[in-house]
Amino acid sequence: MIPENLAVERGVTAGDVWVTVEPANIHEALSALKDGGFRLLVFLTCVDHLADSSKEWPARYEVVYQLRDMETREQLRVRTFIDGDPPHIESAYDLFPPANWDERETYDMFGIVFDNHPDLTRILMPDDWVGHPLRRDYPVGGEVVEFSEEHERWQTAPEKA
Amino acid sequence: MTTEIGQGITVAKTGEQGAFGGELLTINFGPHHPSTHGVLRLIVDLDGEQVRRLKPVIGYLHTGIEKQAEALRWQQAVVVTDRHDYLSPPINNLAYALAVEKLLGVEVPPRANALRVIMSELTRLASHLVWLGTSGIELGASTMLMYCFRERDTILDMNEEISGYRMHTSYIRPGGVMADATPRFLEMLDKFIRTMPSNIDEYEALLTMNPIFRSRTIGIGMLPAEDAKVLGATGPMLRGSGVAWDLRKSMPYSGYENYDFEIATSDMCDCYGRYLVRIKEMREAVKILRQALDRLPDGPINVDDRKVLPPPREELETSMEAVIHHFKLFTEGYTVPPGDVYVAVESGRGENGCYVVSDGTHKPRRVKFRAASFVNLQPLERMAMNHMVADMVAIIGTADAVLGDVDR
Repeated sequence: MIPENLAVERGVTAGDVWVTVEPANIHEALSALKDGGFRLLVFLTCVDHLADSSKEWPARYEVVYQLRDMETREQLRVRTFIDGDPPHIESAYDLFPPANWDERETYDMFGIVFDNHPDLTRILMPDDWVGHPLRRDYPVGGEVVEFSEEHERWQTAPEKA
Repeated sequence: MTTEIGQGITVAKTGEQGAFGGELLTINFGPHHPSTHGVLRLIVDLDGEQVRRLKPVIGYLHTGIEKQAEALRWQQAVVVTDRHDYLSPPINNLAYALAVEKLLGVEVPPRANALRVIMSELTRLASHLVWLGTSGIELGASTMLMYCFRERDTILDMNEEISGYRMHTSYIRPGGVMADATPRFLEMLDKFIRTMPSNIDEYEALLTMNPIFRSRTIGIGMLPAEDAKVLGATGPMLRGSGVAWDLRKSMPYSGYENYDFEIATSDMCDCYGRYLVRIKEMREAVKILRQALDRLPDGPINVDDRKVLPPPREELETSMEAVIHHFKLFTEGYTVPPGDVYVAVESGRGENGCYVVSDGTHKPRRVKFRAASFVNLQPLERMAMNHMVADMVAIIGTADAVLGDVDR
């Protein structure tokens, strides 16, 4: 399915088959997998491994693609690790149309920049939002709740917006 | 230049020439519009009354529940899973519970599986009933809402009886279910199964051959099978295009392989086809409920693993070990072996999946909900293209997006 030279590591976690590829090869790998029958991108997301001591992680952000072959009902998870500020990776939108919104969401929530995406804008958060909420260093409850008892704080504009 | 034309709708001229000699007009549809099923905003370019471009704008109901789940312990995060697709809480619970169980490597007993199937199918019925009632109202059949909510209320009564909660039940949990079915619940369920088929006949009598309903849905919002697959649509959106793909059959979970039911499909590919699929699914759901109730096995409803679920209340009075387990579970929770899993279940709207990453601590590292509505909204432009504005309402309706599920 996937050219041998592209796979860095293969494995099975709790019955789920996965393969790791280098971020530079992600588009080539996904394209090969699509030609091999994995035509459906179930979802695409990111995991932030900041201060995760469970394992030695190659980079902070792990981008995950869950693929499915609807004929054979096989599933495959493709992962790749990226770093950088902001982290960059090739868009998969031209291969899998549903990646459009998934990539926008991942950009919105983790600040991962998908190169060659047609319209990489925030999708869930407001357009003028500062920060990427699902990063592990973004605090829960870090923003002021409107119409709450803290009304004096929310009436003044935040410093950075 | 934009002009306000009342009811919160603004229009802007694009300067582009349309096919009918006029200019293309951009209108803003929603977010606070009753027919958008929540708070969906659509930016539509109109040529006369025909849709030429359509861009959904989402995020108005974003509640950050994936972030919240990371701040909660494994057993606490069940509560937030209830709330993304607020019309099918037990199915969301099920996806999360199956994912956590897969990582923990525990297997729930047969009675728990049967109760999970019963709750899933009841929820599917409730979710389709809300869809049918609201779609009926949008397409001019206001009686539908009264009929559908009557049955939905019976289902909510059953939710209350079995879990104490009418909507956000948190009934299905990692390791089993919250409580055993009471005799009264089984009685209510039996009565419901006996009366439901005739109720579905009643809905069909109102809509299936209704000329107004037919003319507003047949040939509207065409989504050919190939497009549906490429755009990643799942659930009734995909089956309404003639693709027999249902996770309950294709990749069975919770013992669905033991039930005898059919995948509802329709080759019509339009709004009417999706309606037929949902009606058929309701009939199949009743069939599954009957089989589950008749074959409901006896036995425990939870895994016998004190590291995952607390001991029964009576044991606390006699066993020191039980007290320790109880204390540990409610003060620090349990840990889950490091790793990541993805589990998908079939909700009323399509594939509702849960991707869970554990770093070996008491809280999830990442919980991602693969929301069916989020993906099913993307073919909207394809379906609404060159249709009238009024047809857009039917198309949004049959896409059956729950905005809480879209925005999470």
